[in-house]
Amino acid sequence: MLQLNSIDIKKQRKFVLVWGITFLIVFPLLITLGLLMRLNQGEEIQLGMDRFYTLMTLHGLGMAGVLYSMAFAALWYLIGTRHTKLNLGLGYFVYFVVLLGVIGLAYATLIGKFGAGWYLLYPLPFKGTNWPAWSTGLSIVSLILLGVAWIIGILHVVYALAKEYGGLTNLLGWQYLGKKNVQRELPPIVMITTISLVPGLIAYLAGAVFLFMNLFQHFEPALSFDALLLKNLAFFFGHTLVNITLYCCIGWVYALLPEFTGREWKTNKVLVYSWNATFVFILFAYFHHLYMDFAQPLALQYAGQFASYLSAIPATAITMFGVITQLYHSKIKWGIIPLTFLIGVAGWAIGGFSAVVDSTIAINKVLHNTLWVPAHFHTYMLTGVVLFIFGFLFYLSHTKEEQEKDKTAKIGFWLFVIGAHCFIATFYTGGMNSIPRRYADYKGIPINSTHTTGALLAQIAAICIGLLLIGLFIMYGSIFNKLRKGKNIPMVPSTNT
Amino acid sequence: MNFLSPLLSIQSFAAIISFIAAMLVVVVVIFLVITSSTEEDKYSVKHKVYKLRSRYFFALVICIVAGLFISLRLLPYAKFQSEPDETVTVVAMQWAWKIAPGVTDKNPVDFTGGSEITVPANKHIRFVVTSSDVNHDFAIYNSKGLLVAQTQAMPEYHNALEYIFPEKGDYHILCLEYCGLAHSIMSGIIHVN
Ligand code: HEM
Ligand SMILES: [Cu+2]
Repeated sequence: MLQLNSIDIKKQRKFVLVWGITFLIVFPLLITLGLLMRLNQGEEIQLGMDRFYTLMTLHGLGMAGVLYSMAFAALWYLIGTRHTKLNLGLGYFVYFVVLLGVIGLAYATLIGKFGAGWYLLYPLPFKGTNWPAWSTGLSIVSLILLGVAWIIGILHVVYALAKEYGGLTNLLGWQYLGKKNVQRELPPIVMITTISLVPGLIAYLAGAVFLFMNLFQHFEPALSFDALLLKNLAFFFGHTLVNITLYCCIGWVYALLPEFTGREWKTNKVLVYSWNATFVFILFAYFHHLYMDFAQPLALQYAGQFASYLSAIPATAITMFGVITQLYHSKIKWGIIPLTFLIGVAGWAIGGFSAVVDSTIAINKVLHNTLWVPAHFHTYMLTGVVLFIFGFLFYLSHTKEEQEKDKTAKIGFWLFVIGAHCFIATFYTGGMNSIPRRYADYKGIPINSTHTTGALLAQIAAICIGLLLIGLFIMYGSIFNKLRKGKNIPMVPSTNT
Repeated sequence: MNFLSPLLSIQSFAAIISFIAAMLVVVVVIFLVITSSTEEDKYSVKHKVYKLRSRYFFALVICIVAGLFISLRLLPYAKFQSEPDETVTVVAMQWAWKIAPGVTDKNPVDFTGGSEITVPANKHIRFVVTSSDVNHDFAIYNSKGLLVAQTQAMPEYHNALEYIFPEKGDYHILCLEYCGLAHSIMSGIIHVN
């Protein structure tokens, strides 16, 4: 157990609040872009195609970037106050570089009209574009900034932990696999952090290669790269980023849920095996994004489906059953924090299942690039990751008693959850009806029923988004109210693990 | 080919099992909330849940093996295709389809073809799909608006998509990979007779 004095804890707390408040400001702005997109698809407003794709690009990049950053910051706080010392100077450096990258992206999209989508497929940013070349350049440079910041952050956290626990293999829990008694217990959050961030590091390096190739292309138009190779790199980067954001959140669920159930959640052999398996699945699952590229080697297509299917085993049999072991007959008081965790895990399960369905090649051939795809990832992002993040923010702002009594927070929470699931249901229904994703509107579809169904679903979605926004702001009220009083600082870290 | 048709589209199948799974999750959540109001010793809880877990584990492994076994025989790739009765060349460009019968050795940029083509019903048709600029996706929709087959159109690569049109009438082509500004209006028609 790390011993920090209260001044250091306060500093760490301030640091994570800077991230948290940035998140709380940016998140509803990005939701508003989603609302505008749905309104345009519902033919309620007229954005024009160029503006639609600009907003889509900013929404996708922004959400993926901000949620990962927030998840990373939350882990940083829990690790930095409980398990090993982390350098705040470096932390703030990461923060400002990320901020710079986000501002660059906002400028490149909103002013520069960059609109190649959040996963940009080479050579789209360079051919037939309706935006100036500088905004492509600025976007690439901004993404490189984000990547560099994230890589530095990961290296610092993993290095500090490795020093604390005696090497990387100890962070992966391998000491549990031998015959010898374990010298020092490994908290699950430390193992999960490692298993999320190290694949992340590998993926960001691949992302860096991808981005630099794009940058070379930007400066030297005569170049020509292999589109399939760059698509592999783009998805290895993009898929892994989104995937590990969720696993990061699971890290703090392991750490915090026991504080409310009073039941410990410790590392053991089974946990080590299952999370190490997850490590491998994270690296190979991304192939399921290239099923419809028939030119991709067949073995990789198989690898995609195998990894995607198998990842369900550790996720459900270990983590979800772990949650059941925590909660069943626990006499837990359902305050807002354990509630966000339980409902978040449910969202993860629902989104995960529909993802596995879509990762079946024989099914993917009719669901690929329909609204089913945004459906599944919005499920585990919006009703998974976002809820876990709110759980963490409630943890920062509320004492244990406060979070039990806070009715306002619960009302906001349920409005948000119901609105979000209904909003996502319009995506699933769209996927089931073969409505394409990434269509500015459905007017150009020559099949009448497809056009009208798509537009109707978008209109319904807009109402659900309204509901979800109301719930969101009620939760904001609760968090800021408690933060302003600020009396409960600092929360004593648990001694559970 | 659709392994369930004509009873049920693949899309409906996917939606139904996903919905059932989601309801199952809801039931588990409600169950956990209700049962959490009483208290039991954590060791006996652990014992009970672990017993359930090992059963779940075996059931899941069986489902996964069965799922892989069934679904991996239904792949759309070249290795699983038969000799075509007819071949059609498709070149995607920003933002139109160039389609013509037969194979071609022309450069995709110079290739000429219209956005419509006529093919016979109940024959193996092979579409050889590529792109002359950015990534696109060649997707075939039937007259009811159901997506029935697709493949990516990638510059420098040729993807062979095989499909047997079961009914006469018009099928539509949509682009399913974002390819720039006019992506959503990039369509074509396949007349089947
Ligand atoms: C209430 C909240 C949200 C709303 C209303 C919303 C809405 C939308 C809409 C309408 C689209 C375009 C769908 C299409 O036609 O292809 C979209 C795409 C997307 N959204 Fe969201 N979204 C929300 C939350 C999130 C969250 C939490 C994430 C986190 C990662 C996210 C990430 C994305 C991404 C990556 C795309 C794909 C963009 C692309 O295709 O380039 N969204 N969203
Ligand atoms: Cu397109």
